[in-house]
Amino acid sequence: MENENTVKDVDSMGSVVVEKLTKDFSGVTVLQNINLDIKEGEFFALLGPSGCGKTTTMRCIAGFEKPTSGVIRIGEKVINGLTPNQRNCGMVFQSYALFPHMNVFDNVAYSLNVKRLKGSNVLKKMATYTRMLNSRLVKYPKDIEKKVRDILEYVELTEHAKKLTSALSGGQQQRVALARALVMEPEVLLMDEPLSNLDQKLRHTMRNTIRKIQQDLKITTIFVTHDQEEAMSMADRVAVMNEGEILQIGTPTDLYSNPRTPFIADFVGTSNIIPGEMLDPEDGLSVIQIGNQVVKSVSTADKKAVQVIIRPENINVLKEESKEYDNSFEGEILFATYLGSIVRYDIKVGDYTLTADTTYESGKNILKAGTSVKLGVSPERVLLI
Amino acid sequence: MKWLKRNFTGIGIVKLVIYAFFILFLIIPLLSVFLVSFTNEPINLFGSLISMETLQHTVSQFTHATVDNFKSVFSNGTYFSALLNSLRLSFLVSIIVLIVCVPIAYGIARTKMPFKKTISALCTIPLIVPTFISAYAFIIMFGRAGWVTYLYNSLGGEGFLIDPYSFTGIVLVQVFFFFPYALWPMVATFKVSDVSLEEASRNMGSKSWLTFVTVTFPLAIPGMLSTALVIFAVSFSDFGTPIILAPTDLNLLVVEAYREIAGFFNWGGAAILTVIMIAVAGFVFWLQNHFFKGKDYGALSGKPKQVKMNDNKLLSGSLSVFAGFVVLVPLLAMLTVFMQSIATTWGVDPLPAGYTLNHYKDIFTNSLGNIQNSIILALGALVLSIIIATFVSYFVVRQNSTGLDFMTTVPLIVPGIAFGIALIQTFNTAPLQLTGTAAILIIAYSIRRLPYMVRSTVGTMKSIKGDIEEAAVNLGASTLTAAVTVIGPLMLPGIAAGSILVFITVIKETSITILMAPAEWAPMSLAIFQNILRAEYYSAAAMSIVLVVLVLVLQAIANRFSRKEL
Repeated sequence: MENENTVKDVDSMGSVVVEKLTKDFSGVTVLQNINLDIKEGEFFALLGPSGCGKTTTMRCIAGFEKPTSGVIRIGEKVINGLTPNQRNCGMVFQSYALFPHMNVFDNVAYSLNVKRLKGSNVLKKMATYTRMLNSRLVKYPKDIEKKVRDILEYVELTEHAKKLTSALSGGQQQRVALARALVMEPEVLLMDEPLSNLDQKLRHTMRNTIRKIQQDLKITTIFVTHDQEEAMSMADRVAVMNEGEILQIGTPTDLYSNPRTPFIADFVGTSNIIPGEMLDPEDGLSVIQIGNQVVKSVSTADKKAVQVIIRPENINVLKEESKEYDNSFEGEILFATYLGSIVRYDIKVGDYTLTADTTYESGKNILKAGTSVKLGVSPERVLLI
Repeated sequence: MKWLKRNFTGIGIVKLVIYAFFILFLIIPLLSVFLVSFTNEPINLFGSLISMETLQHTVSQFTHATVDNFKSVFSNGTYFSALLNSLRLSFLVSIIVLIVCVPIAYGIARTKMPFKKTISALCTIPLIVPTFISAYAFIIMFGRAGWVTYLYNSLGGEGFLIDPYSFTGIVLVQVFFFFPYALWPMVATFKVSDVSLEEASRNMGSKSWLTFVTVTFPLAIPGMLSTALVIFAVSFSDFGTPIILAPTDLNLLVVEAYREIAGFFNWGGAAILTVIMIAVAGFVFWLQNHFFKGKDYGALSGKPKQVKMNDNKLLSGSLSVFAGFVVLVPLLAMLTVFMQSIATTWGVDPLPAGYTLNHYKDIFTNSLGNIQNSIILALGALVLSIIIATFVSYFVVRQNSTGLDFMTTVPLIVPGIAFGIALIQTFNTAPLQLTGTAAILIIAYSIRRLPYMVRSTVGTMKSIKGDIEEAAVNLGASTLTAAVTVIGPLMLPGIAAGSILVFITVIKETSITILMAPAEWAPMSLAIFQNILRAEYYSAAAMSIVLVVLVLVLQAIANRFSRKEL
């Protein structure tokens, strides 16, 4: 990606504001009161399980779905009444939706051809139409040629320009789709699960590529995914959705350390979620009764029945009791899973099974099932919802 | 107002135009023929819209409307016997076709029958030949001067082996030339039926013939009944065979309706016969859709299975002989036509007296116009149906337009002769006097063959994912631009496959042509028909061969296209 400056002069970017968006499909509500305030140049992810409404939200912004109510603005402009082709939102489809009968160059040039159709005289129109049907018959004008060449160089596809898209690998197809969306200099870039069709390794590379392009161009980007790792590693901010509602919007670290609901705690990373009962506070710490044990936490809740949330990496597995931790329990290893750099233990504590992650140090033995262990958790790492 | 705004886009206008086309040339004619069956005289619906006088006349026609015509179906012996005869014919033909096809289909699908490939290939002959040519071929085989009759007489028989000009003659022509319509669906039924069920039966000790009778055959019954209904419909609306072979004392609906309109200008009579034909055909179609859709047991499991072939030598040998006989008859019929086309004279002899190419020379000097007409009319119908079918499939697949889906199914049901009568009645007078023009002929051809085209284009349209079109729109294209630059090119293979089918069937088309073609636009099929009526058998034969060769060539091109698609 050496040619960073060539496509940088995109100046028509915008913020995206969604207010009170709802959407019914024949009586069934799929989106409920969606509010988003996406800043100019922000990389914003919509995260949630399948069927949560994240794609529908994006399709409302792109104009492929008509909202039942609510307002969508790009910059200062309300776009509700605009057809999809008037919105100038570049979109990368889940299946890429490349035109199979056109080569890479023609695919990327499509939006520039379309732009040329508008407001030009009949002869020019005819020429453009003919070019769109068969690019060998009518040559591309210099400006289109240059723009397409530049963007192809930017995504490192120059040598594939004359190939049919079906002859490319998944990652290359992905970059064609990206180039095709970017060349029209959209105000907003929409990406619908763009990495779901790639294999594990390519997905990691493409994550970096997309992130880098987004940073280069400072283009407002909305990214739909069901993969929390993807959302957390790429986005500036993430909106977690479930069942047509937005549960929480925040930075990745914010979501991870302060999930607002047990659903988020579980969906964003792994969590031990245990129901408990609040007792009277002691020494400024909340005290929660779980079975016949008590857990102390720095966080507070103003209700009696609470969910206690502890991340696996915050449970310290110890051979013997330590005074270092305010919370300490006895447990028995049920199961150990070796995951490379970490070892994940399933540990029986009272009536519950907790998951704990420990870093694996080479030379050290992995604890066997049946081993009795002590667990230590500091109150700072115990979250109450 | 909102509705208007929503539809007043490029693509919305196209949709309205297509709806208007179907309403004008399909729905109104069918409606008007229904009305005429009450008023007994032609009504001028379009005239009533623009002229007060005509409107008053039409209103007075309606005040005199009666149900006499419907009563006359049962009181007038001719109409009633025509209905009974037609039903009897179609019933017999579909039963015999079933009986003939079961062993051949089983042989092709499930045995190591010798000459399987040759037999399969020969089965396509009947599909190429228009029925009036096959009927005519039967005359020159089984007729007074036919070589079969000669052989039969020299072996000691007297008179005809089979009189072609009889009910039996019509049944035989239809059986031998319609059986492939039933054969291939039946082969499919036998192929997909679950072999493990048969193996289970064998495993429980059942012998192989018992397995066939108790398991294989019953499993194929729903598929076979559904196919029988297809044959019933094909036979019922066939015009070519009866018009050539029906003796004067044999009433059949199609012939009777043709005579009423072409011979006596009896509008009311033609209308009531048309209504009856459509009612029967509609009922058969309804039966097929309601009782057999999805009840084909064989179609339940979609995964391909390894089929164990029956290799009983005696069985497969005798099946091969039987199938060979069945496909031999159409082959001999066509050979006979060919011999006639190159014969100087062919009397009551097994072979012609001499050979000549003069008949072909004759055709290419005197009747070149007919060939040209055929091609021009077929091309016209082709262009029209490509345009309509492409947009219709777009509306049906992408916008779920059930209305257009229905409109393109109607022509499948309405027999050609009925549709022709409806069109003639509707466009007979000003302001839309189209009867006798090439335009109405082209429109009639296209509407009649649209279902084939639409089936082909809908299939391709379904294979184009919706997001491809969305991508085009997202990149700034209007729906119409997206349709022209993206959807259109992607649909080309489907359009190509459908077009050749349309072209072939239009060239073969009999009923509409004979009913509607004006003299100056007479295509090949009309020329052959008139030659047969004038007993100019030699030029009829030569013209038939030219037509069949044209169809064969096109079919070969079509096959190449469809193979490319795979």
